[in-house]
Amino acid sequence: MEELRPEFDKRGVKVVTVSVDLPEVIADRRHLHGLQATMLSDQSLVVTDAFGLRNQGVHSAPPSESAKALPVPATLLIGRDGTVLWRDLSENYQRRSDPSVVLAAMEAHFDTLQ
Amino acid sequence: MGNMRLGTKIGLLAAAVAALTAWYWFHLTGNVALPEDRTAFVVVFLGCVVLGVAAFVKRTSWLGTLPPLFAIAVGLFFPYTMMISEQVVARDAAIEVGDTIPRFASIDDSGVEFDSRSLSGHLVLIKFFRAHW
Repeated sequence: MEELRPEFDKRGVKVVTVSVDLPEVIADRRHLHGLQATMLSDQSLVVTDAFGLRNQGVHSAPPSESAKALPVPATLLIGRDGTVLWRDLSENYQRRSDPSVVLAAMEAHFDTLQ
Repeated sequence: MGNMRLGTKIGLLAAAVAALTAWYWFHLTGNVALPEDRTAFVVVFLGCVVLGVAAFVKRTSWLGTLPPLFAIAVGLFFPYTMMISEQVVARDAAIEVGDTIPRFASIDDSGVEFDSRSLSGHLVLIKFFRAHW
């Protein structure tokens, strides 16, 4: 996602990531996911549940996982008034939102706003 | 070649099909181009398992046990990962286009508290992802 950084900056987009990892694990992995994003640790799935994105699948978390469940991979674009403008839910964790898909969505939903 | 046991031959075939299919899988994964419907993959991988078992039934040479074992392992592993990777959300609970995002508080990777009010007035991209694995 970090390859879209110039596109985020151009539009003044704030990027927030949510995962169930411990803060120190996220900090460790920060270089992989996004150097300038706000990276939230949602161990108790409070944020995930507020968005209704808890994975209800039976095998949602392997036994080694510290969290008891996981979010469904999802990307949301939010307008200045807090309205969801675009949503991409992955049916499978091996398919995440492709950067080109996210860019097209920003062009369609952010660039048409005044 | 001529005196190779039938089971060994079947095992080699099974391993070759399993390796090629796994390679193709990774190739598609790399391009984020895996199809939604993976029935064909499941069929081929489980076919490798069947061939692998058939190789043992037909008897292999000692070294010949390795290809069918590989085929069986690969053939079981991929359908297993597909099984555990199913994503299901409670559709009526999931946030949708047009909804206003809920107010939330959390902590970031430096342990600093985060309040979603800091997002108002900004264009925002929120990304939920599974843990690092």
